[in-house]
Amino acid sequence: MDLLLTLLWTIVDSLIGHGYLLTYLFAILDERPGRKRLGRILPPLAASSLVNAVVILVSYLTIPDLLVLRSSLSSAAVLAMCTAWVRWAWRVNLRQAFAAVCMAGVFQVALSALLQAFYNLYSYLLGAAAAFLTAELLWRLRFGRSFRLLLEEGEGLGRLCLLLFGLEASMEALSVLRWGVQTAYVPAYSILTVVLTVLMTALVLHLARQVESGRLLQAQQDVIAQQKLYERDLEAIEREVRSFRHDYKNLAAGLAGQVSAGESEALHRALASLDANFDRRLGEKIRSAAQIGNVRVPQVRSLLLTKLTDMEAQGVSCRLEVLYPVEAVGMDVWDFVRCLGVLLDNAAEAAKETAEPWVEIILLAQGGTLSLRVANAWSGAGDPGRFWEEGFSTKGPGRGLGLGGYQRILAGWPNAVSSAGWEDGTFCQELTISEVRP
Amino acid sequence: MIGIYLCDDDRAVRRRIQEALERKIFVEDWDMEVVCSADSPGPLLEALAERGPRRGVYFLDVELQDGDWDGFRLGQEIRRLDPHGTLVYITAYGELACRTFQYHLEAFDYIVKDPEGLEEAVCRCLEAVHARFQVERRDPEEVLTLREGDRVRHIPLKEILFFETAPAPHHVLLHTAGSRVDFVGSLSELEKRLGERFLRVHRAYLAAVDKIESVDLKGGRLLVGGRTCLLSRAGRTALKKRAGAGC
Repeated sequence: MDLLLTLLWTIVDSLIGHGYLLTYLFAILDERPGRKRLGRILPPLAASSLVNAVVILVSYLTIPDLLVLRSSLSSAAVLAMCTAWVRWAWRVNLRQAFAAVCMAGVFQVALSALLQAFYNLYSYLLGAAAAFLTAELLWRLRFGRSFRLLLEEGEGLGRLCLLLFGLEASMEALSVLRWGVQTAYVPAYSILTVVLTVLMTALVLHLARQVESGRLLQAQQDVIAQQKLYERDLEAIEREVRSFRHDYKNLAAGLAGQVSAGESEALHRALASLDANFDRRLGEKIRSAAQIGNVRVPQVRSLLLTKLTDMEAQGVSCRLEVLYPVEAVGMDVWDFVRCLGVLLDNAAEAAKETAEPWVEIILLAQGGTLSLRVANAWSGAGDPGRFWEEGFSTKGPGRGLGLGGYQRILAGWPNAVSSAGWEDGTFCQELTISEVRP
Repeated sequence: MIGIYLCDDDRAVRRRIQEALERKIFVEDWDMEVVCSADSPGPLLEALAERGPRRGVYFLDVELQDGDWDGFRLGQEIRRLDPHGTLVYITAYGELACRTFQYHLEAFDYIVKDPEGLEEAVCRCLEAVHARFQVERRDPEEVLTLREGDRVRHIPLKEILFFETAPAPHHVLLHTAGSRVDFVGSLSELEKRLGERFLRVHRAYLAAVDKIESVDLKGGRLLVGGRTCLLSRAGRTALKKRAGAGC
């Protein structure tokens, strides 16, 4: 009977701990808790709480004296299980899930360690309040946004995991120490815990900032590199103009001859061909050079140049229209770049399945509204009604961010609306962002 | 009578277009008239304001430059004053015609300032405009008008399958067989505005009654134009009531 009660109590305790962890996970992954996600998470969360409670109890019964080993066992179990369900629920890869769980673990363990001072019913209320308040504080600090940037680092992710695991482990160690602290030293211990947590948060924020400035620098360098292509276009235009000038002189001389001969019909035709010739040879180059020049946000420009070059290399004909200068995007610039990346990748993939692949991008910044339209040739394959389901991909599951991820980013930006249409061999995606202030 | 407006700063081109239009209207005896031929947006907008909110046809120069005005902004202003008007753009650069105009202003057509075929292109374009007017007069379409920033979108009611609440708060998704449109709005408001044709089958779904294909009462789902909607208990009652009333 006693054992059952203890088990029950341990389960409740473990559930509450998981609750804290989940609260922080949402803040860290930059997402407001939604019903859909919660519905998906709660069953595995309950299961992992149950397993954790059993691990705690069994280890208590078998090795009651080895406190450190016991808490390490339970922590390792929680870490492994949470990583598994975070990976599943958020559709991230293993290292990303592990990093997120370690980070959330730091906050949760710190909170639990602090709460151990008041071990009664109130501590749960207090804990819930503290968890929500600190999660809100993290939200306000835009910690999630920074953390997401870190998670996107391909090569550095392993090191990040190691670092976060170290932080998490030291926080766990600190919380174990709590049992050996005499009452008189509890305030000092608490201060130490708080300060350490703040320092760890600051460290992660600092790392994210480093990554962001690195990426911005990279984008600028990309633009410079791509600018060379643009310059080459300009040089080609100049060459054309020079040769045109040459032709023009000859033509003018010929025209003068025709005028004196009184052949007005031939004159008319020659003038028309001159005009058409100029358009064909120069117009398109001048136009495309002017369009990319109107994109004034380096990150967006870099992505556009890269993707356009890639697509052209793969035989997809591209068209870009930017009528007015784009100075701002009205949302977090990396979020916009992510969205644009998803749309362009999807468009290129779909276009390549057709006989004559083309992609058309229209950016229009006007009157505080930025609108993006990506259209592509489409073979008509697949059911577009399903494209937006989480994790759906025509190339099988687990590929890229997908439209589900795209929707998820946009859910954080109420000033953005996205639409799509598919008709007559064309698939198009539109994204309209209002309240764009440079 | 349908008013035709013309705006191009190249006087010679403008005169040629105007003459071509007038000749065509005279020959076909259509109920149209060139009411304004201007070299800058100012006089055109004045004439438009004078005439009041009536549907017009507008021939505008893409490369127009007049202070803050250009071809696009003029088109936008005309759209604001005459949302159902027909915009036709005149451009000097054939292939370079902006798709931006097509999508953001629903530009009807382009005419290239080709010294050879200008008149012919103008006549062909006017024929298409006239044909569209005839179709619309015979079969006036009920549309749902959505505003996205400066842009207005008209969606024929008969194409709409259902509305669904979007993941983002205050956003609604509209589904047709060939599109999926996100806009700011609320299902309750739409339900009121659209009336009988649409039925609230679930807290998060408003479906076109005549597009419902099958109903799975047990599973709480229904198929609308090949897509699945959720069906709530209240929705079931409403659906049964409607089916009963229909018999």
